Amino acid sequence: MSVIETQGFKLDNSGKRVVVDPICRIEGHLRIECNVDAKGKITNAVSTGTMWRGLEVILKGRDPRDAWAFTERICGVCTGVHALASVRSVEDALGIAIPDTANIIRNLMHATLYAQDHLVHFYHLHALDWVDVVSALKADPKKTSELAQSISGWPNSSPGYFRDLAVRLTKFVESGQLGPFRNGYWGHPDYKLPPEANLMAVAHYLEALDFQKEIVKIQTIFGGKNPHPNWLVGGVPCSINVDRAGAVGAINMERLNMVGKIIDDTIDFIDNVYIPDLLAIASFYKHWGAIGNGLASTNLLSYGEFPDIANDQSNKSLLMPRGAILAGDLKNIHAVDLKDPAQIQEFVAHSWYKYADETKGLHPWDGVTEPHFELGKGTKGSKTDIREIDESAKYSWVKSPRFKGQPVEVGPLARYVIGYAMGNPEFKEPVDMVLRKLDVPLPAIFSTLGRTAARGLEASWAAHKMKYFYGKLMANIKAGKLDTANVDKWEPATWDKEAKGAGFCEAPRGALGHWIRIKDTKIANYQCIVPTTWNAGPRDHKNQIGAYEASLMNTPMAKPEHPLEILRTIHSFDPCLACASHVISPDGQELAQVQVR
Amino acid sequence: MSDTFYDVLRRQGISRRSFLKFCSLTTASLGLSPTVAPQIAHALETKPRTPVIWIEGLECTCCSESFIRSAHPLAKDAVLSLLSLDYHMTLAAAAGEQLHENALHTIEKYKGNYILAIEGNPPLNEDGMYCIYYGKPFVEAVKHYAKDAKAVIAWGSCASWGCVQAAKPNPTNAVPIDKVITDKPIIKVPGCPPIAEVMSAIVTYVLTFDRLPELDRQGRPKMFYSQRIHDKCYRRPHFDAGQFVEKWDDEGARAGLCLYKMGCKGPTTYNACSTTRWNEGVSFPIQSGHGCIGCSEDGFWDKGSFYDRLTTIPAFGIEANADKVGAVAAGVVGAAVVAHAAVTAIKKASEKGSGAKVEEK
Amino acid sequence: MSTTMEGRDLKFPVYVWEAPVRLWHWTMALAMLVLWGTGYFIGSPLPSVPGEASESYLMGYIRFAHFAAGYIFAVAFLLRVYWAIVGNRHAREIFLVPLYMLRPAWWRSFFRVVAHYLFIRPRNDWHQGHNQLAMAAMFGMYVLGAVFMIVTGFALYGEGTLAGSWANRYFTSWVLPLLGQSQAVHTWHHLCAWYLFWFTIVHLYFVIREDITSGLTVVSSMISGWRDIKN
Repeated sequence: MSVIETQGFKLDNSGKRVVVDPICRIEGHLRIECNVDAKGKITNAVSTGTMWRGLEVILKGRDPRDAWAFTERICGVCTGVHALASVRSVEDALGIAIPDTANIIRNLMHATLYAQDHLVHFYHLHALDWVDVVSALKADPKKTSELAQSISGWPNSSPGYFRDLAVRLTKFVESGQLGPFRNGYWGHPDYKLPPEANLMAVAHYLEALDFQKEIVKIQTIFGGKNPHPNWLVGGVPCSINVDRAGAVGAINMERLNMVGKIIDDTIDFIDNVYIPDLLAIASFYKHWGAIGNGLASTNLLSYGEFPDIANDQSNKSLLMPRGAILAGDLKNIHAVDLKDPAQIQEFVAHSWYKYADETKGLHPWDGVTEPHFELGKGTKGSKTDIREIDESAKYSWVKSPRFKGQPVEVGPLARYVIGYAMGNPEFKEPVDMVLRKLDVPLPAIFSTLGRTAARGLEASWAAHKMKYFYGKLMANIKAGKLDTANVDKWEPATWDKEAKGAGFCEAPRGALGHWIRIKDTKIANYQCIVPTTWNAGPRDHKNQIGAYEASLMNTPMAKPEHPLEILRTIHSFDPCLACASHVISPDGQELAQVQVR
Repeated sequence: MSDTFYDVLRRQGISRRSFLKFCSLTTASLGLSPTVAPQIAHALETKPRTPVIWIEGLECTCCSESFIRSAHPLAKDAVLSLLSLDYHMTLAAAAGEQLHENALHTIEKYKGNYILAIEGNPPLNEDGMYCIYYGKPFVEAVKHYAKDAKAVIAWGSCASWGCVQAAKPNPTNAVPIDKVITDKPIIKVPGCPPIAEVMSAIVTYVLTFDRLPELDRQGRPKMFYSQRIHDKCYRRPHFDAGQFVEKWDDEGARAGLCLYKMGCKGPTTYNACSTTRWNEGVSFPIQSGHGCIGCSEDGFWDKGSFYDRLTTIPAFGIEANADKVGAVAAGVVGAAVVAHAAVTAIKKASEKGSGAKVEEK
Repeated sequence: MSTTMEGRDLKFPVYVWEAPVRLWHWTMALAMLVLWGTGYFIGSPLPSVPGEASESYLMGYIRFAHFAAGYIFAVAFLLRVYWAIVGNRHAREIFLVPLYMLRPAWWRSFFRVVAHYLFIRPRNDWHQGHNQLAMAAMFGMYVLGAVFMIVTGFALYGEGTLAGSWANRYFTSWVLPLLGQSQAVHTWHHLCAWYLFWFTIVHLYFVIREDITSGLTVVSSMISGWRDIKN
C-alpha cells in the first residue's frame, strides 16, 4: 500500500481493487484495474495492454514497398491509417513526391475513415455506455417520434417506425436470448436518458450499423476493399480514365458519381442523426463534463493531417493543425518534429520490455526492444493467472511514449483543443456551438464528455472535407491532372544504399508515427508509435501516469462491481490495443538478445 | 427482434405457403412421413436462435469489422435475428466479469449446441502470455470454449493459417486454431479479412441447413474457396492476350489491363473476390488497380514481395527468385562442364603423345 | 553380363535402345525444349501486345503450347514406364537404381566410373547400357525430376481446369495442401524446371564426351538403337 504523487494526482492503491478484463467494445485486449475508496471514488488506476504481436520484428529484412500491407494489419478498425503512415515514411526516406491527384485521393480515403470510424465508435462502441436498451422498452412511440422530430429533420421518425421497433425490441427481450446486450449494466443509476431518448438511440444504433458500411465503399472504390484497402508507395494504385477505351477498368465517371453520392449521404447522416443524437444525449450527461479530464487540460499532441498541398507537411498545408500543448498553456503551441530525438521518446520502466538504462527514453529511430515478461512481487495470482497486477513493477505490453518528457493525450479532443487554441474557426466555432447548446463552460470540454463531443464534431468536419476533396478531385480531372503515381523511384535499384524516414498520420484515435530505416533496399529497422500507445501507456520511470490512468482518477463510481463509469471514460478515448502493443527489434532474429544502435 | 427462422424467411419475402411447401419438401427429402411436415414447420417457427461465442486473440478486428459490413443479410439482421451473438468483445454491452459470465452461461445452457467463432489466433511462446484474457493465456480460453462447441468457425487468415503475426520469424509463436483444437469440425474462412457477404453466407448456411458447408481438404467451404481469383477475373482476357500493366499508372493501368507483371497473386489465390467482390459488390483489389496480395492463402506474407511475379527465395540471397537461382546454377554447371571438357582434352592429348599403350592395356 | 569389371569382353554390337525408347527420348527432348521456353515466358511474360484483347491470344497460345507439351511429356513418360516393364533390360536401368544400390558390386562399378571422371582412372569401363553414375543421374535427376514436374504440373493445370476435372481431383487437391499453397507449388515447379535444365547440360556433355573418348558409339545409338565398338 503506497501513495504516489504525480502531476497533481495522488495515486493511492489502498482501497478496494476493481478489475475489468477484458474491456469490451474496443479493438484488441485491454485490462483496467482501479482502487476505489469507501465512497466509491477511484484513487488509483492501472492500464494494462494485454497483447503483443511483434510486427516490427516481422518487418525486418522485407521490401519497404510491402511494409504498408503488414502495418495495415496492425488494426482493422482504423484500417488504412498504418498503411498511410507507412507509405509516407518510405516516401520520406526515398525522397518521393506524390502527384497532387494522388494526395487528394489519399485525403479522401482518410477522411472517409474518419467519418465511418467515428460513427461506429459513437453508436456501436460507446452508445451503450449512455443508452439503456432495457429502458427503451418503456418508451411511448408517439413521444419518441415527437422527440426525434424536435431535434432533427431525419425522415425515419414516425410513431409507426418507433412502434415497430418497440415491438421487435420487446419480443427480443422476452425471448431471453439477449445476445450482445446480455448482462449490460441496465438500470444502473447513472443511466439518465428518458425511455424515449433510449428508444430513439436504439433505432439509430441499428440505422448506423446499416449505414456505416455504405461510407467505406469510397475506400473500396479507390482501394479495392474494406477493411484493409490497398495503398501504394508513390501515390495510389487506382488510375483515372474518364475519356478513353478501357475506362471501365479505372476510376471513371460512374465510380466518381458513386463517391459523390456516398459523400452526400454521409454528410446527411452525420449532420442529421449523429450530431443531433450527440447533443441530445449529452444534455442529460452534463455532469460528465467534469469527469475524466486526466491530461486533457494540460498535455495534448497532434501531428496534424490532410495536407492540402501535396508533399507539404507544414501547418500552411495541413487542414487539421499540427502542434502540442504542454502544462495547460493554450497560448504556447509547441512545434512538433517527428525527427527530433529530443521530442519523441519511448520509455519501458513499467512495460514488459528491457532497456540497458530504463531511466532513459529512446527515439524510435534508435529504439531498443527486448520483450521481458515479468510480474511484480505484489502480483496476486500466478504468471498464467493474474488476479491483481502489481503496478510498481512492469505491467503492460504497451510502452510509455513521452513528448519532451511529458505524457500527452492524443485524439479528437487534442486536435480540437489545439485547433481552438490556434484560433482556427473550423474548430473553434463548432466547439463554441456545443458549449452554448449544452450551456456548459469551456473547461467542460476537458472531460469524458468533451472527448465524445469532439469526436462527433470531427466526424462532421471530416464528412464536409470529403466533399471538399471530391470537388478538388473533379477540378483536377477537368484540368487533365490525372497522374496518380510517381514511379521514378519504384525500382529498388534507384534507391540510396541507406535511407531513413518518418511517416506521420493523424489517425481517428490520434497521433500516429512510423519510423523506417532502409539498408540495401531492405527494411533494417521499423518502429511505430501509435495513438493508443500515447493514451494507454503505463507509468514511466518517474511514475508519471498516461492519459487513461489519469482520466480515471477521482471518478466517482456508483456501483464499483458494475464498472460503467470506467467504460465511459476509457471508451471516450476509443482504444485500439492491437495498435498500441507492438515492438521493434532491429536485430530481429534473437528476441532475447536484441541490441540496437 | 427475437425472430425465428420463419420470421426471417417471411421478412425476406417468402410466403407462408412457400414456407410450408419448403417444410413438406424437407420432410420428403428426409424420407419421413408427410404427417411430420407440420412438426418441422413448428420447429422452425419456434426454434431459438443459435448461440455464437465469438472470441478474439492476436488479431486486428478486421474480421469483425468486415462482418458488420455485410449487406445481405444485413449485419443487423444476422446479429439480432439469425443468431444470438452471446459473446463478442467488440459489440457486447458488458465487460469484465459480466462479459465472462455471458460466455459461461452460454456454454452451460447450450452445451454442444453453440458455435464458437474465433478471430485471431493464440500465441504459444511465453506460456501464452503474449495474449492475456481474464489474466490468463488466451489459448486456455480457446480450449475451454471449444470443448462444448458444436462447431468452430476460424475467421480470417489469422485463425485459419496464422497470418501476419505468424509471418517469419513468428516471434510469439502464433499458431492457427486447428493446432490447438483437434477434436471439433473447423470451418476455415480465410482472407484478411474475409469478404463480408462470404462470412454471413457461411453463418446463414450453417443455421439454415443445420449442417456444415462442404469443405475442401484444407477446411475451406468449397462454395467460396474452390476457384482462384484469376479464374473469374474480369481482366482475364487481357492476360490471355498478353496485355499487361508494365508500370503503375501507365496507359495499360488506365485501360484496365492485367496486373500480372505488377505481382498480382490472383493466379495463386483461392477466394471469391472476383465474383462476389467487396462491400456489396462495389469493387475488388484488381478492379481498383492494385494486384491481389493473396491474403486468403496460407503463408502469403512469406512468398516474396507483393510486387514480384516470382517468389523470392531467401535462402539464395535477397533478390533471388527461381529463375535467377536456376540461371546462376546453370552457369555454374556449364562452367564445370567446360572445365571438365578442357581437362579431358588435355589428358587425351598427353595420352596420344605417350603412344598407344593405353589402348593395348 | 559383364564378366570383368572393365567390360572389354562384352559382346558388341548390341541392340540397346529399342524403338519405343528412342521415340520416347526424342519426343521428350522436344517437349522439354518447348516446356522450358513457354514456361519461362509464363513466369516472365513478353512485352505487352497492343490493341484490343479480342485480337490477340499470345499468353493463351504460350500456355496452350506449355500444356500440350506437358501432356506429351507426361504421356511419353508413362509409355516409357510401360516399356520399362515389357522392354529389354536396358529399358529398366534408370528406374531400378534404388534396387541396384543394395548390391555392393554396383557401388564398386559406380566408384570406378567416378574415379574415371575425376581423372584417376584413365579409361572408363565399357557398359552395354548406362554406366552406374549415368544410371544414378538418370534416376535422381531425370526420373524423380520428371515425376515431380508431372505431378506439380498437373496440379497447376488442374487449378485452371477447376474442381471436378481429373487433374484437379487427382493432383491439385492434394499437391497444394502438401506444398502449402499455389504460389509455393509454382515456385517449386519453376525450380525443378531448372533442375532438369542442369541435368540436361550435364547429360549432353557426358554423352558427347563418351562418344569421343570411350570407343563405343553413344550418340548414334539413340538413333539406330545399336551400340558398337568404334573402329
